[in-house]
Amino acid sequence: MSRRMHLLSRRMLLFLFAGTCTGSLYAQDLAGIVVHGFVSQGFLFSSNNNYLSMKSSDGSPQWTDAAVNISDSFADNLRVGMQLHMYQLGQFGGSNVMVDWALGDYRVNDHFGIRAGKVKMVWGLFNDSQDIDAVFLWILLPQGSYSIDHKSFYLAHVGVDIYGGIPLGKRAGTLHYVAYGGQSTIDLNDGYIQTFAELGLQFTNSLGGKTYGADLQWETPLRGLILGSSANWLAADGTAPAGSFNSPAYTVPSIYGKFSRGKVYLAGEYDRIPINATITIGTEVIPFVADGRSWFAMGSYRLSKKFQAGSYYSHYVNKAADTTQPANYSKDWVLCGRYDFNPYFYAKIESHFLHGTNLGYYTNTNPNGLAPNSNMLAAKIGFTF
Amino acid sequence: MLLLLASLGSWSAAGAQDVVLVANKGVQISEITDSDLRAIFMGTRTRFADGSHAVPVTLKGGAVHEVFLKNYVGENPEEFRLQWRKVVFTGQGAMPKAFDSESALIEYVAATPGAVGYASRISPQDGVKLLAVVK
Repeated sequence: MSRRMHLLSRRMLLFLFAGTCTGSLYAQDLAGIVVHGFVSQGFLFSSNNNYLSMKSSDGSPQWTDAAVNISDSFADNLRVGMQLHMYQLGQFGGSNVMVDWALGDYRVNDHFGIRAGKVKMVWGLFNDSQDIDAVFLWILLPQGSYSIDHKSFYLAHVGVDIYGGIPLGKRAGTLHYVAYGGQSTIDLNDGYIQTFAELGLQFTNSLGGKTYGADLQWETPLRGLILGSSANWLAADGTAPAGSFNSPAYTVPSIYGKFSRGKVYLAGEYDRIPINATITIGTEVIPFVADGRSWFAMGSYRLSKKFQAGSYYSHYVNKAADTTQPANYSKDWVLCGRYDFNPYFYAKIESHFLHGTNLGYYTNTNPNGLAPNSNMLAAKIGFTF
Repeated sequence: MLLLLASLGSWSAAGAQDVVLVANKGVQISEITDSDLRAIFMGTRTRFADGSHAVPVTLKGGAVHEVFLKNYVGENPEEFRLQWRKVVFTGQGAMPKAFDSESALIEYVAATPGAVGYASRISPQDGVKLLAVVK
């Protein structure tokens, strides 16, 4: 059986499994142990370049996600849980099942709690949920802020979070905070690793470093309006057979806001990712420098119980380079629709009008170079319980 | 009081567009602010104003579920479900227990310390107490 047929068969099996479960699965509650999961299948078709390491200009279904989690509460304020995740995105991910998060959560009271283990990093509007498309309208989040091919470094850390809420009074809302510290890792099947390989450095072990961060969110007295700010300090080091990568700690700040009430959703975010790293191969030192500035604005409207439509504009430029060159920016207009057949099954369709080539493109799938602009159609079906 | 209630036959919502808030009889408070109620059902609070543990429970769907979410939580069922799924899939919490029927929900609330839910009506034999919602 060819590899393509094997992949398709695997996807069919996942969906057949999902389909047979719908009758019985809201979420499985087995003597207090609760089980949830999701599976989704995506498709990309682009007019010019090959996107996200797929042969998307031919149309590619090489995008599958699946996850299952279990959790249990031992007491009113003590909970443990774990989520396993498998994904294939073009050449990234693969058949390995990874621990997405695995943690113990002790909530002393509503003002202070502590989580420890492998914990999703709270940053900006979407960081901790960026690999769970079932919970939002979009197929692809704004890639300048949440690049799907680089997600492993930012998704989670092994360490400790503290969190809580501080009521400010009836007329001032509530402050929600999260602060964390730990270790973050770039998986071997991530886009960064592919980029390093294209620069001549092939890693055989994952790399990473210490990370610290905090998020402060103000739930304003205007119901549905949330304003927030995050900062994340990251460092990464790694050694490959032919050389090494070193990124001193850099700060990734974010400010964001969202308004969600009834059928209307509006949100915006500004982020900065300044990287000043070096790649060393033998005696050659290659600067790996970027000063990424990104922002997006998005809005959606629920037209019916089952159908939601929306649009966003995402803007990214590398200020450390010539910003007039398409290789140093990525701008994307997006239109999206989501249809929920029932609480479990959904389908999405999304059009992208991409300008610039800074994000999401790789040399090995675009050996003849890149056109500055490309249009893309994305579709996804999913099942969640 | 019981005689009065028995004569009425049941506690029911004021109108077709309203629901009653029910809690386990061990819950010490008799009223709850709308902001606390919303926070408890959205998972940002886990305790009542007196510090005791709150266990929110919901119906899986239907008109009563929709009315409760609209009037007391300020969400539609679709957004409510998506927000809780985000909590569940990011490891930040556990979704409230959901029931197919009001009778099953009331039975659970009656048997579970701290449980709070909603129904279109209850009777004195249900073994739960009413909570009033205040601004």
